[in-house]
Amino acid sequence: MALPLPPGLTPSEVGFLCEMELVTVIPRQRLEGLELLGGPTQSLNPPFPAPLPLWLALLLKRQKRANISPPPWLSVEGLSSILDFETDNRTAEVFSPAPSLPRPTGFGLPHDEYLSQDSLEFSPPFLADSSTTRSQPNALPYHWLELGHLLLTHASDDFDDPDTVRRLLRDLREVRMSKLRKGFRVLDAGAGVKMNGVGGMEIAEVRGFVGGVVDGLRKINRSREESRKDREAEERENGLGGSSYQDDEDDMQL
Amino acid sequence: MATKLRARPAHAPGPTYLSYTPNGRKLVTVGLNGALRVFQHDSDDEPAVIDVPTDNHFAVAATNDFILVGAEDGSVTKYSLLTNSMEEMLVRSSLPVRDIAISPDGQWAAVASDELEVKVVNTQDMSRVMYLREHPRPAKHVSFDISGAMIAVSCTDGLVYVYSLSSEQPQLVKRIDGLIKLLDNEAEASSKAVWHPDGRAFAAPSSTRDFQVVARNDWKLQKAFQGGHRGDISAAAWSPNGALLVTAGVDKSLVLWETRSQKMLKSFNDVHNVILAMQWHPTDNVLSYTNNNGELFIRENFAPNEHAKLLKIALQHAPTNADPLNDISGNARRPMPNGVKPNGHVRSGDDYIEGLLDDAMSQDGADFIEDDDGAGYAEEPNRNGKRVARSIEGPQAKRQTPGPVWQPQIHEPFQPGSTPWKGNRRYLCFNLTGFVWTVNQETHNTVTVEFYDRQEHRDFHFTDPYMYDKACLNEKGTLFACFGSSHHPAILYYRPHETWTSRTDWRTELPKGEEVSSISLSDSCIVATTTAGYVRIYSLFGVPLKMYRLKSSPAVTCASWRDYVMTVGNGPVGGDGMTRLLYTIENVKRDEICQSEDTLALPDGVELKSVFFSEKGDPCIYDSDGVLLILQHWRTPGQAKWVPLLDTKTLDRLAGGKKEESCWPVAVANNKFHCIILKGGEEYPYFPRPLLSDFEFRIPISSAPNGDEDEINSEVTLRKSLEEEYVQSSLQHSLIQDLVENTSATQTQKLEATGLEREVDKVLLQLLAVECREGEERGMKALEIATLMKDRTGKMLEAAGKVAQRFHREILSEKITHLAERRMVGLVDDDEV
Repeated sequence: MALPLPPGLTPSEVGFLCEMELVTVIPRQRLEGLELLGGPTQSLNPPFPAPLPLWLALLLKRQKRANISPPPWLSVEGLSSILDFETDNRTAEVFSPAPSLPRPTGFGLPHDEYLSQDSLEFSPPFLADSSTTRSQPNALPYHWLELGHLLLTHASDDFDDPDTVRRLLRDLREVRMSKLRKGFRVLDAGAGVKMNGVGGMEIAEVRGFVGGVVDGLRKINRSREESRKDREAEERENGLGGSSYQDDEDDMQL
Repeated sequence: MATKLRARPAHAPGPTYLSYTPNGRKLVTVGLNGALRVFQHDSDDEPAVIDVPTDNHFAVAATNDFILVGAEDGSVTKYSLLTNSMEEMLVRSSLPVRDIAISPDGQWAAVASDELEVKVVNTQDMSRVMYLREHPRPAKHVSFDISGAMIAVSCTDGLVYVYSLSSEQPQLVKRIDGLIKLLDNEAEASSKAVWHPDGRAFAAPSSTRDFQVVARNDWKLQKAFQGGHRGDISAAAWSPNGALLVTAGVDKSLVLWETRSQKMLKSFNDVHNVILAMQWHPTDNVLSYTNNNGELFIRENFAPNEHAKLLKIALQHAPTNADPLNDISGNARRPMPNGVKPNGHVRSGDDYIEGLLDDAMSQDGADFIEDDDGAGYAEEPNRNGKRVARSIEGPQAKRQTPGPVWQPQIHEPFQPGSTPWKGNRRYLCFNLTGFVWTVNQETHNTVTVEFYDRQEHRDFHFTDPYMYDKACLNEKGTLFACFGSSHHPAILYYRPHETWTSRTDWRTELPKGEEVSSISLSDSCIVATTTAGYVRIYSLFGVPLKMYRLKSSPAVTCASWRDYVMTVGNGPVGGDGMTRLLYTIENVKRDEICQSEDTLALPDGVELKSVFFSEKGDPCIYDSDGVLLILQHWRTPGQAKWVPLLDTKTLDRLAGGKKEESCWPVAVANNKFHCIILKGGEEYPYFPRPLLSDFEFRIPISSAPNGDEDEINSEVTLRKSLEEEYVQSSLQHSLIQDLVENTSATQTQKLEATGLEREVDKVLLQLLAVECREGEERGMKALEIATLMKDRTGKMLEAAGKVAQRFHREILSEKITHLAERRMVGLVDDDEV
């Protein structure tokens, strides 16, 4: 069955994926812990904050049974410091870094795994606490754009200054998108763009375009590529191919 | 500092003089024209004017009730401050009156005129007059010392004559030469002797334009305040506690000095006329002066902010050359919240004896180091400013009886979880159930009670004609209390949240004149401490259960949890002049006293901020240093001790001092400290309601680990955190163990106790592993850790042995096994390690 959709995820799908993120909720009424597929939730006991998946938090919020307390990076101070980083001349080339990875849990002993617990390391988008109140205030997590959008739409009354936060989010998005687009200029069949710290929605947004461009370029270059391959094959046969192949490889890595 | 200096035209241009009443409420000025002006302190209203028949007034002196005004025509007239009218002509001389001084008790007035003799008149009975006649020329100034037993007369012959008034006939005590300048009667420059408020010295402007201190016990010249003026000094005033001095010169200078170091703190250059009279306000940071142009200046916040604290400290010593006690006790002292009230007391007739005693005593002390060879060792610490010469309020204050009356500092009562008025609203109660706040609507208040759990309870709101100023809130109901007024006595009002009858809220009125000082509400009782020193305990439905008098009163605060009631009161006075806080914990149902009049452990200078019971029912306090403490072993009388749970100053976000943040305590629950983070130096939360923050306990065992630890010291950090964890889990275990042993605990609590015991051993096991890893040489410590294990089944020691084996610490492993065996057969007691 052919879907009329471009490859990759649609924004709503990314938003859906974002809803598994845990956010901190300040409950306004009691609720026993629930056994969810993603794991059991903590029982809610006002006024103690508890982490809940975003979808459940939004549901409770809509029923006025809870308040969502926005993560620290989604505050005016946090966002403006990130925005400063993004617009600073010295760091204009790169995206603001993603949250630092958690330390491996447990502690291992050298040459001995005794007493060492599971030291599983996570990477985005599976970082714990990336969007709860315990998250880092100066780093955008993987789902920053979607999460910010969802929270601002459904829980804007829980923000201190929702309008400024909204404006800052928009600014950030524009700055980062322009950086991404700047990266596309150097796109070539073999070139790459460094995208460390780019969020899920941004990837979804540019995936169609970048993929298309790269595919198109490859198609255009196919004949040249083929002729080059032929030439290389010939050269290899002549015993001269090794070094030039090496050069190509270097170019690829740029 | 006042940004704009505004002169108040008080009189016709010309010499003007002023006097504060000793209570500081009124300020009287006199000048050339025939009217007196009475200014109210702290009010910008037009002053009251008393029209008088005389003009050209040169002297004024005030008591709380009346003023004496001396005029050029030689009359001294008494005016009442109560009616603002003339009472009588007190005394009349043939020549102009130059100065009037009233003794501190207000009984005697000394009048210096251009006549040769100084008259000392009884202010109530003008027929009783004493004459001071030993000085050969007219007196220019007179001043009473603090006890009122001596008068210093600054004579126009350049000498100061000190008379004693203790006998019927005044006697000349001392003639002091070489102190003051020879001045004309009408000179603007002054030679007035100004007694330091501690009564041990006076000071007078010298001929070298310095301000010279003279000790009272030997009448020798002591230290001097030098180099402040280029003209003669025209007025001078000690601050009420003697810590600061202001002098003004005829060169239109005005200088603020620090008494202790005789250093010039600030020179003011905004004086445009010669200041003739100057006085500090008795309590506030306000200096008032009048000049020779008929103007009055009331300078609020006169001492700059960095020095304003000097005004709040206790009475300071006069700067004499030998102050051994001062030099030893170089501790910074707490400010006295009550303020010092010099002259605010009425002294009785035996002052002189006290004065003599004082002399005798201060001679013992003051001459301990005599700087007789001029080497300056006695004053050296003062010069380099390293040793702070401040008084100990307690014992020294006793010696200084001629000075301001020393009063013990009592702790004001407070209601935990409430905030003061700010704007027109305040929180009456703030806890984990919800919060109660009230809005002042002038004629009434509106009280709103909001809950966190909106399903369980419904928020409510009512109009409050009684102006409730205290409230408690819990799951069952809300308790309010208000002050009595002319319409009603003090009222306690309880309103349960749920009811199955029509109306169950009740009010009870306290006996007339008794006010509620703090209230608390628990699941089973209502407690109120009152200003009459009573503790009143009611059931939830208003049945008075018991009432008794608090042993340590006045009460400060109270807290309750189920049947346990904790009351805090002012106990005996401690070394720092503050009363010790004593607490009593009682079980009202079983009528058992758990802790009786035990001291609330607070270090010097730290105040109690809040008292509450933790969720598990252990008493907690939070002090102004930001430390949260919990009471351990409090169910056994005499065993209780305060254990710190968390020092909020060491928290990551508060440490470093980058942000000016503080915690406002709310509760202890779920093994966390719940508080409100206040930013920007705020002391209390305000509206909109801030979010609660919570912090894990961290017992300040060692300095907090740095945030940026690298691999090398991560091991140290780990060990430190394990050590902290050990102390904390032992504490938690002992708390729950106490609970299980002393109450009919539930099964879950018993399980929790054993779980926590295992937890302690687990932490010890981890610590043991760390020690084993460090190396063979740590074996002794590792064995010691093993002996700390609580587990009696031997499993934990077995595990410890395994850990040691794993690290190939064979000897250690052997020893642990040995220990385990001895324990199994009961050979090792707890005491024997």
